[in-house]
Amino acid sequence: MGVKIWVHAEVFEGEIADVAFELLSKASVLAKSIGEDAKVEATLVGCGIESKAALLAEYGAVTVHMADDSSLRLYSPATYVHVLAGMADAHKPDIYLFGATAVGTSLAPAVAARLKTGIAAHCVDIHIGGEKELVALVPSFGGKVIGEILCPVRRPQMASVKPGVLVKKSPAPVPVNIEKQELSSLKLNERPDVSQLEPVKTERHPPEGLPLKEADVVVCGGFGIGGSKNWQLLEELAQSLGGAAACTRPAVDEKWCEEHIMVGTSGQSISPKVYLGFGVSGATHHVCGMSKSGVVINVNQDAEAPIFDVSDFCVKADANSILPLLLDAVRPDGKADRRE
Amino acid sequence: MPYNVAVCIKPVPDPKYYDKVTIDPVKKTITRTGIPILFNPVDKNALEAALRLRERYSGTVAVISMAPPEGAEILREALAMGADSAYLLSDRAFAGADTLATSYTLFHGLKKIEKEKNYLFDFVLCGCESADGATAQVSSQLGEWLRMPHLWNVFLMDAAETGKAGGEHEGNVFSVKTKIENGYMEWRIKSPAVMGVSRELNKPRFTSAMGIVKARNKPITLWNRADLSEADDEFLGLKGSPTQPGEIFAVDLKRSGKFLTGTHEEIVKQIVAIMKTNGILVGD
Amino acid sequence: MHFFEFSEELTLLRKAIREFVESEVAPNADEWDKRDECPVDVFKKLGELGVNGIFVPEKYGGAGLGHAARAICLEEISRHSAGLGMTMMTHHLGLYPILHYGSEEQKNKYLPDLCSGTKICGLAVTEPGGGSDFNGQKTLAVKSGTGWTVTGRKCFITNSHNSDVTVFTAKTGEDEKGRSKLSAFIVERGVKGFEPGRKEDKLGLRASVTGELVFTDAEIPDTALLGKEGGGARIGMDGISEIGRAGMSAIGVGILRGCLEEAIKFSNERILYGKPIAKLQAIQFEVAKIRTDYEAARLLTYYAAGMKDDGIPCANEVAIAKLFSTEASVQAAKRTMDLMGGYGIINEYPIGRFLRDAITSIPSGGTSHIHQIVIAANTLNNFQP
Repeated sequence: MGVKIWVHAEVFEGEIADVAFELLSKASVLAKSIGEDAKVEATLVGCGIESKAALLAEYGAVTVHMADDSSLRLYSPATYVHVLAGMADAHKPDIYLFGATAVGTSLAPAVAARLKTGIAAHCVDIHIGGEKELVALVPSFGGKVIGEILCPVRRPQMASVKPGVLVKKSPAPVPVNIEKQELSSLKLNERPDVSQLEPVKTERHPPEGLPLKEADVVVCGGFGIGGSKNWQLLEELAQSLGGAAACTRPAVDEKWCEEHIMVGTSGQSISPKVYLGFGVSGATHHVCGMSKSGVVINVNQDAEAPIFDVSDFCVKADANSILPLLLDAVRPDGKADRRE
Repeated sequence: MPYNVAVCIKPVPDPKYYDKVTIDPVKKTITRTGIPILFNPVDKNALEAALRLRERYSGTVAVISMAPPEGAEILREALAMGADSAYLLSDRAFAGADTLATSYTLFHGLKKIEKEKNYLFDFVLCGCESADGATAQVSSQLGEWLRMPHLWNVFLMDAAETGKAGGEHEGNVFSVKTKIENGYMEWRIKSPAVMGVSRELNKPRFTSAMGIVKARNKPITLWNRADLSEADDEFLGLKGSPTQPGEIFAVDLKRSGKFLTGTHEEIVKQIVAIMKTNGILVGD
Repeated sequence: MHFFEFSEELTLLRKAIREFVESEVAPNADEWDKRDECPVDVFKKLGELGVNGIFVPEKYGGAGLGHAARAICLEEISRHSAGLGMTMMTHHLGLYPILHYGSEEQKNKYLPDLCSGTKICGLAVTEPGGGSDFNGQKTLAVKSGTGWTVTGRKCFITNSHNSDVTVFTAKTGEDEKGRSKLSAFIVERGVKGFEPGRKEDKLGLRASVTGELVFTDAEIPDTALLGKEGGGARIGMDGISEIGRAGMSAIGVGILRGCLEEAIKFSNERILYGKPIAKLQAIQFEVAKIRTDYEAARLLTYYAAGMKDDGIPCANEVAIAKLFSTEASVQAAKRTMDLMGGYGIINEYPIGRFLRDAITSIPSGGTSHIHQIVIAANTLNNFQP
């Protein structure tokens, strides 16, 4: 029997999350390194999602195990764990991958516990090792250390991978093949945990402006920005450059900006062409999320700030002495020209 | 209705000192000598939530930790903050546990507390992740072992309308919100349940001197492998962990760190030039 | 002989107070100093944490810990705001005589509010004509039917303008040799004829209020008498010598630690000739001196506090600790300034405030000269190797 690599395709408000395609792309690579008998399959759970299976096939999923039911319209760990663990029990995948999104972080370990198998959390990369087993790379101590996690005996070998760290590759499409999971056998409405937990609604307010992950230049502010007034300058600068503003944990704590633009282990991972930091100290938690940036420039008045160790160019100065000057220089209204 | 609440706490190395974490290049082990241990920050939010439940509805708060004996220090802090009793699960047989084995051990610890106290837990609260491992997996897996519904990343928790005094489910139905990307999900959850809470849920109280004095007479119960007689070795410690660590690497993210010099105006010109060289359209 | 080590409970107390101070005190300390303002709201929160009544038994609403615990609290507060430390230390100084000389009724009346943080306490002894000259006090309390009529002026009184309860001393008669007989009383804010006078503009410790208290035919009841009539000198001196000075000593330790931490940070961060100045021996000598003074002040302070907790008379040990600790804190602030060069005098750094606070702590509870007189008297009469 061939090796089965499963990817859970998270559906959010009717759309498949990007991380599912990233995982499918990676799964194809894994399948190749295992050998010809390895195949990629996907799980898809939700309501009115049948048409989405084709997208998964475009990314190489030869079989889509699907549960499509009105009771699954909103995510709930209670129902989804029963469904996914049920599918895995029936089909015995060897590898099962999840996106480490908010939903995935709650769902994947619960599925693993139900299957009494191992899962590596929030991986930054995965590959196939010498024994044809899954090797997951997991950061710890705020990204200071990366450790390999293996699951030598129990199956499936599971991992959740951070969105945005794997590359979405051009697809190798296959014909759509849907395998429907019947829900009646699972007797969901007889399960106490299902009746105890009711998802009521989902509220989402996608941020305005360019998503952080898509920006060529990211202007990141840390505690050294010093106040919300200066923060506005930073946002203006990001806008003038056609990029996006990002922040570190202290800037969120000071309420200068929203948490969704936070970069780091508990925030986003970014890889812009240019990272321009102001008043960022360089705590390992943050560095882990920005280390894949192209060129890194940082302005900080502390010459010993750890951020300078991971920068290509350093400026020892108060962030707020450089920020307004730079803003003047890059404003598209031509102020920079008038200066020269 | 009074609640019996359990709070799971992890002692972690103080994140302020993570730059002092090194890897032994020969033994491939992580050296964290001299780094003080700390109450995992978000676990304090979980304890605060439990204390508020007790203040509002009466009941009990038990704290539990699976840790080496030094972990007692953190449990003492939890007692000083206001917990009623503390349980430390400590044994070499528990060491090296991954999240599945950790949650299994905690599960048996909680079962034993329930047996000894002759009550059942209504809520089991955890911080949503630890500062060191940050796997964020234990609360969900604990929910699975306990066969309780579980929610992760809870930032709001309030008695639901029907759960309020005189309501259909007085006391045991809660309206809960969990954080998701760019928004939240809203839930109704009926106890018993497990929740992994986020730092936005509340502001943990400061420990008071009175609390420290009161904690003198509160017990810290130490349980070892033999005490958890119902637990199966198949799921305990390093041996019972389905995942196993492989190689570890120190991450070297060092870059050249060239200092730009000159007046602020000159520096700004250099920054603009660097951005242009790297494909950013500046001021055009 | 045991290795000197804080108990698990005191270590936990230090951790708890430090967490509070780093979150609620440190970020605001400069602002309080600039505005010359006592943060009464933070004082209240410290009451909720048990600091205000740290050595008061639980039955009066205190935490039921002791004087080493008190020193820990004052050190932790003063590491970031010696001014707030001064407010707290004076509050303790005022409530101590009530705890030790008060009737059960007086203790029940005053201590719970003073411990919880809802009321602030002070001690008023010093007068324009008598600080170090303790018996030179002129404030007069005259028996008047059901109580006492008080007239006089107290000066350099910490918490003068924000205390709700003040313990003060006044002359209530003379002995056969014509020497003043002093008695101690408790007076509450709002009593007719009792008001704060001028508020001083101090060099340092500016998160505490210092000023005058003026009595103009103030009527206080018989129940206001604290201890025995004529017992005022002992009550006042007891508080000052074992509580006031011990508190100043702990404040000094806090300032010393603040200086040490600033010195370490600055010398590791400041780059000269391509390397941190911490690599220069001239800088290392300064850091070593500050560290040594900090450790010595700490040992003296907690040694004396431990004696107090064990009920051993310790006025001399407290005097030694206070003299050393406050003088050393001035030196440490000066040394830290020296190694910081030009940065030392910039108010963006806290070190200038530390120096002002350190100097301001010298006259509190008796100047260094008075302390040397106390120590010398004890040494010349009682020294036993």
